[in-house]
Amino acid sequence: MSGILVVAEQRAGRISRISWEALAAAHRLGDARTVTAVVLGAETETPAAELAAKISGKVLRVEHGLLTPYTADGYIIALQQVIEREEPACVIFPHTYQVRDYAPALAARFAQVLISDVIAISEDRVFIRPLMQGRLNGSYRKSSSGICFVSVQAGAFPAETVIAGAATVELFAPVMDAAQLRTRPGEPYRAAAQTVDLGSAQIIVGVGRGIKSQENLPIVQELAAALGGEVAASRPICDAGWLPMEFQVGSSGHTVAPKLYIAAGISGAIQHLVGMKGSQCIVAINKDPDAPIFEIADYGIVGDLMEVVPALTAAVKEARQ
Amino acid sequence: MKIIVAIKQVPERDAPVCIDAAGKWIEESDLQFAMNESDAHALEEALQLKEKHGGEVIVLSAGPERVATTIREALAKGADRAIHIICDDLQKRDALGLARLLAATAKSENPDLVLTGLQSEDLGFGQTGVILAELLGLPHATLILHIEKTDSGIEVKRELEEGWFQNIQLPLPAVVTMQSGGNKLRYATLMGIKRAKTKELRQIPAIELGVASEPTVLLEKISWPQKQKATQMITGSAKDAAATLVAKLKTEVHVL
Amino acid sequence: MMLMLPTLAEPQHFSSLEKLLLAILVAGSIYVFWLRFSIVLGKILNSKNDADFHLFPIGPRIRDFFSEVLLQSKVIGQRPAAGVAHALVFWAFCAFAIVTLNHCLSPFGLGFLSPSGFVGRIYFEIAAVFAAACAFGIAGLFVRRFFVRPKWLGEKLSWESGLIALLIFLLMTTYLGAFFTADASPATRALWWIHTLALFVFLPIIPNTKHLHLVLSPFTIFLSRGGFSQIPPLAGDEDFGLIAGTDLTQLVSLQAYSCVECGRCTEHCPANNTGKILNPKQIVLGVRAYLKDLGPASAEPLLGKYNSQEAAFQCTTCGACEFQCPVGIEHLPILIGLRRGAVNTGTWDDDYGARLFLGLERGSNALGLSPSERDKFIARQQLPSFDGTQEYCLWLGCMGGYDPKGREIVADLARVMNFLGVTFGVLRKEKCTGDPVRRLGNDLLFQQLAEENLASLAENKVKKIITICPHCVRTIQEDWKEFGTPPPIEHHSEFLARHLPQLPPVKDHDKIVFHDPCYLGRYRNVYDQPRAVAALAGRLVEAERNHERSFCCGAGGGLTFLGEETGQRISQVRAAELVATGATTIAAACPFCNSMLRDALATDEHAPELVDIAQIAARRLP
Repeated sequence: MSGILVVAEQRAGRISRISWEALAAAHRLGDARTVTAVVLGAETETPAAELAAKISGKVLRVEHGLLTPYTADGYIIALQQVIEREEPACVIFPHTYQVRDYAPALAARFAQVLISDVIAISEDRVFIRPLMQGRLNGSYRKSSSGICFVSVQAGAFPAETVIAGAATVELFAPVMDAAQLRTRPGEPYRAAAQTVDLGSAQIIVGVGRGIKSQENLPIVQELAAALGGEVAASRPICDAGWLPMEFQVGSSGHTVAPKLYIAAGISGAIQHLVGMKGSQCIVAINKDPDAPIFEIADYGIVGDLMEVVPALTAAVKEARQ
Repeated sequence: MKIIVAIKQVPERDAPVCIDAAGKWIEESDLQFAMNESDAHALEEALQLKEKHGGEVIVLSAGPERVATTIREALAKGADRAIHIICDDLQKRDALGLARLLAATAKSENPDLVLTGLQSEDLGFGQTGVILAELLGLPHATLILHIEKTDSGIEVKRELEEGWFQNIQLPLPAVVTMQSGGNKLRYATLMGIKRAKTKELRQIPAIELGVASEPTVLLEKISWPQKQKATQMITGSAKDAAATLVAKLKTEVHVL
Repeated sequence: MMLMLPTLAEPQHFSSLEKLLLAILVAGSIYVFWLRFSIVLGKILNSKNDADFHLFPIGPRIRDFFSEVLLQSKVIGQRPAAGVAHALVFWAFCAFAIVTLNHCLSPFGLGFLSPSGFVGRIYFEIAAVFAAACAFGIAGLFVRRFFVRPKWLGEKLSWESGLIALLIFLLMTTYLGAFFTADASPATRALWWIHTLALFVFLPIIPNTKHLHLVLSPFTIFLSRGGFSQIPPLAGDEDFGLIAGTDLTQLVSLQAYSCVECGRCTEHCPANNTGKILNPKQIVLGVRAYLKDLGPASAEPLLGKYNSQEAAFQCTTCGACEFQCPVGIEHLPILIGLRRGAVNTGTWDDDYGARLFLGLERGSNALGLSPSERDKFIARQQLPSFDGTQEYCLWLGCMGGYDPKGREIVADLARVMNFLGVTFGVLRKEKCTGDPVRRLGNDLLFQQLAEENLASLAENKVKKIITICPHCVRTIQEDWKEFGTPPPIEHHSEFLARHLPQLPPVKDHDKIVFHDPCYLGRYRNVYDQPRAVAALAGRLVEAERNHERSFCCGAGGGLTFLGEETGQRISQVRAAELVATGATTIAAACPFCNSMLRDALATDEHAPELVDIAQIAARRLP
């Protein structure tokens, strides 16, 4: 049992960023030449070529018509055969929704547990992963012999640290049968576009009293548009009729938890806070350095939002080009 | 429909935590415990399915004596009966070990559907449900927001990354892990608590289930992450601050 | 020297036919009265027992009876003009009791008061004064109801009120008229018979109309629950609140039947005044209609045909209704009872409500924030930890612990207490007192919170509590009694007022208006102490509705945690009223009032400054 298997994911024929990060983790763990990158699907030639051009070791194309679309059964069956064939010491996955769907069952087939969501690997093979929703770190070590199954968190192992090389490409056709796939997945779809869907917006720009007048709202709307996000407002803005009630975020409005919440001209009164404190990243822009919003913000800019917001819009547009 | 819901009692979210003397776990003496949030959504989905299609909802949980309060909360919310696997050494079992305990109990019940939460708020492995499906030999789906009964089994709505969704058809029996937020949780009521007093709560010592319990991975120690959450104040002119912020949104927040 | 006043004329002789007719009339009238009244009495007595009712201490009951029934204090005090008119009618009825008895007995030779006798003559003349006052009063009330038509008396004209007014007027004028006729004249006999007919037509009408209050309201006032917004504990495992007729207790039924439909409750209701469908009078009359139609043994839901769940959950529990009621109806236990019935059984399906409950099921505060936020505030402010040696435990509450404005108020209070050399400490952990869930009717959560907090207070050996929030004060002092013995607690306004002499005497020159919080004013009768502190800031002016008439800010009853309100914002109406006084400063004494008014004033660029009285006191410090 030796070598490291890395299961890469492809999206529309291209290898995903987090798959490169999984490879970076593998290169951290062991010799790059013993790493085998695995890509699955009905068609794997293009992604395999992409991999082979960037890493050393081997690229294994696991190709079968039943592997697209993704099903847990399909991947488990195929990967079990791959693992039995390759006999790696370690299998590394990117920690994606898809991996969480099949990898634990795959590991269980080998009487192992997947060490998931790893953010660091120490010299002596201790895997660090977050506990208590990121408030603590736990150090895990394998206590039994057998294959080590690991999934790595996005952003933990920079893709840039992948050791360059040129790999050989191998084709493998797993043995599987349609009757073994017990679930029938449908086509992915997006939620129906609604006028305001703050609950599912990933980016929200919230505007408060600091905007001073209704005429100034467009600068906030432009920022939201540039970020591809939604506009929301604190209660006084909706009270004054500058934005409809559906835009209200707060204790008597929506509760949101987007990836990014930019609070522009919002002081941070409790009614608004309770509606957005769950946001993953909070950026506060306010003229008052003592505004309570800065206490819960991850990033803060003390300044006039009439200047900062348009500057931010310009910077975002530039970054997106 | 006979539905088993596997729930876990976890430390109350947002409770201030500190590492215990041995450095291996958190100090539990001062803690309050509650039902894991995604498990609560799993329970809610099960109750809604029962209300629509009839049947029975059985709550299953493994842990020490204190887990009984959370089990009774589930009974108060509408589950019909409960099974408590009494286990004082949950810390020493890994996800596989725990899933084996649950599988041993679930198998004898012959359920149509087994629901679990997506992941626990303390360890966050998110694997127990998937391993359970593997041990029971049942098809499964994860990250599910909603379940509908169909003629051939169930159709589930799965959450994908970046705002996409997918519907999946599964035959019954099956195992489903529920994501938080797909349904509206019901609050515990006085009437529910009073009725729960007469519902069956069967206790099984873990040892009686005779499953292998040696863990394959060990939690050696716990520690504080290096970066604590502190507000980063970005200074400079509007233009400079904007540029700095955009750079951070790219590299630290991964949002652009 | 006896004045030569006219005396009452009475027919001296009644024929046998007349005696027979009279006997039939009296018997028949009393019979119909009894038939109807016994139905009402039956419904009241067949209602569930009030398990927590205590007749003793009886002193306060006698005192309230004397004041509110005999002296008509509330009737007059809260609506002076109409109140005096009604009081005159009532006193006339009292005076006439003996006259009427004598009136019915004398045709049979059993009369005991004679217009020619000394006592009789004086008595009749005194009664005449009352009769004149009553006739005047009832005429005035008739004009008010049928011509002036105030809004709270209802849209529809009540024919029955008109009839009663007419009968009363007739009774008084026929009595008075007999002072100007002779004993033997046919006019006297005519007046006598009209009077008698009016009397015995009136009597059977009483049980089926709001005039039942003539019989019931003295009992209703005497048998009150004994506190303000006194919420009875649930009785046993099957009691979840007011769900159906079987849950109505004798007190509730008695009160429902006592309603005089005066509309004073609705007139002062902040919800009703801002376009909500809640109408406190209709809540009570809805229960009465339920009892009339279905009785106290029915399983039909109370919230449905007779009252709506939506209305029940629009109440801020400000207490204006219960405070105003002249016949002793206690609206709040009824409203909260209806809410309990919905919440304790899970039939209240409200997203915000569920979120509040779920948050408190697993968390420590009503805002859903992490307790570490409170810890950070305590550390930053360097508030001492309560260790059993300090005099006071400073209870932060949810707003004091987590709301930026509430924290400012706490910080200022701490500064003042430090200046005064009064020792205090804050508890390491606090759970919400449970006020919002108590007012929303969630007994399960409330019991859990009360019991955990009481245990924590006992464990920490807390002897005395001071806090900035009137809701905390009320809940800890009164509502927690059901589950233990809370330590004494006072509101910071009471503390500050007591220590005023020790604060530096510098006075500002603002024009300042104080907003009476519902839970400090009506609930606790504290009006002067906060004003004494507010007056430090300058000249005190009063809002149009002040003291016990203070208009709610809209946050109470758990409503601040629920979604948007329909109609006008209660907070905006109150804010406008405060601004209209021309004050430069608005003084608050409750962090919820502060929060609501702050929001309402937010878009007004020239809004007066809004401060808590603790901040006013702290400004005095060097």
